[in-house]
Amino acid sequence: MIMEQTEPKVPITPPEQWVDLYGDYLYGFAMSRLRNPDAAADCVQDTFLAGIKALDRFDGSRDIKFWLRGIMRNKIVDQIRKSIKENKVDIEAEDEAILESFWFKYSGIVTTNPDPWQFNPRKSYDNGEFWKVFETCIDQVKNPARQAFVLRVLEDQTTEEVCKVMDIKPNYLWVLLHRARSQLKTLLEQNWLNSDNK
Amino acid sequence: MLHPMLTCKQVSNALSKEDYEKLSPLKRFFLKLHVKLCIFCGKFNRQVMESQDMCRCYHEHEEELNSQRPKLDEGKKDELKKLLVSQTED
Repeated sequence: MIMEQTEPKVPITPPEQWVDLYGDYLYGFAMSRLRNPDAAADCVQDTFLAGIKALDRFDGSRDIKFWLRGIMRNKIVDQIRKSIKENKVDIEAEDEAILESFWFKYSGIVTTNPDPWQFNPRKSYDNGEFWKVFETCIDQVKNPARQAFVLRVLEDQTTEEVCKVMDIKPNYLWVLLHRARSQLKTLLEQNWLNSDNK
Repeated sequence: MLHPMLTCKQVSNALSKEDYEKLSPLKRFFLKLHVKLCIFCGKFNRQVMESQDMCRCYHEHEEELNSQRPKLDEGKKDELKKLLVSQTED
C-alpha cells in the first residue's frame, strides 16, 4: 500500500507570494496589538524572515497563514519588549498604595466594590460592530496596562513570561490587568452606548 | 486534593494564571460557587471572569475584523518582496 501521508496536507506557498497573500493580514494583526505602524511593519518583516528560516519545519497541519501568525506572536512580544526597554514601567503612586493595602495582600483583590456594568455586553457578542468598537477601545487603554493586557490576554503569554518582558512582579501585573479591564469597561460604556449600531 | 472552600486569594491566583474556562470542571465549579457567595471578592473576581468571557469571544471574531484593519503600505510591500526574493535565492 502506498503511504501518502508524508505529503503535507496544505501546500506550501512560495515565500515570493507571501507579501501579496499574507502581508495585509499579518500587518492588521500586528497593528491591533502594537498600535504603531513602524513597529507593526517591522514585525511583519521579522515574521517573514523567521518563516523562511523555519520553512523546513512547516508540517502542513494548518494553513501557512496561521502558521506565520503563530510565528508573529513571538515577534509581537519582541516588539513590546523593545518598547519597554526604551520606556521602563514605573509603578504609579496610586498603584503602590494598592500593592501595600491589606486587602490586596490578603486576598489578591484590587477593589471590593467595582462599578457594575452600565449595559450587558453579552447581548452584543453576536454583533460584529461591537467587536470593532471593542478593538478601538483597546487601542485607547493607556500603557503599560495596555501592553500587559495585549501580552497576557490577547497573545496568551504566561504570567512568568509577561513579567520577564515587562520587568515587573506578578502582583503588579495583576494590578495592571485590573487597570486595563476597568479602563476597557469605561471606554466600552462610553463608545458602545453612544454608537448607532448597538 | 482540591479543598471545596477556596480562599479569595486562591480564586484571584487561579484567575490571574489561566482563563477559568481552561480549568478543570471541578475547580471551575468551586470558583463559580465562590464568586457567587463571597461578599468580599465576589464582585471583583466575577468581573474578571466576565472579562475573560469577553476576550475569548473577541478571539472568535478576530478573523472577521481583520479585513477592516489597516493595510500594509504599498512601498513597504515592494521593499519586503525584494527582501524575500533575495532571501530565498541563497
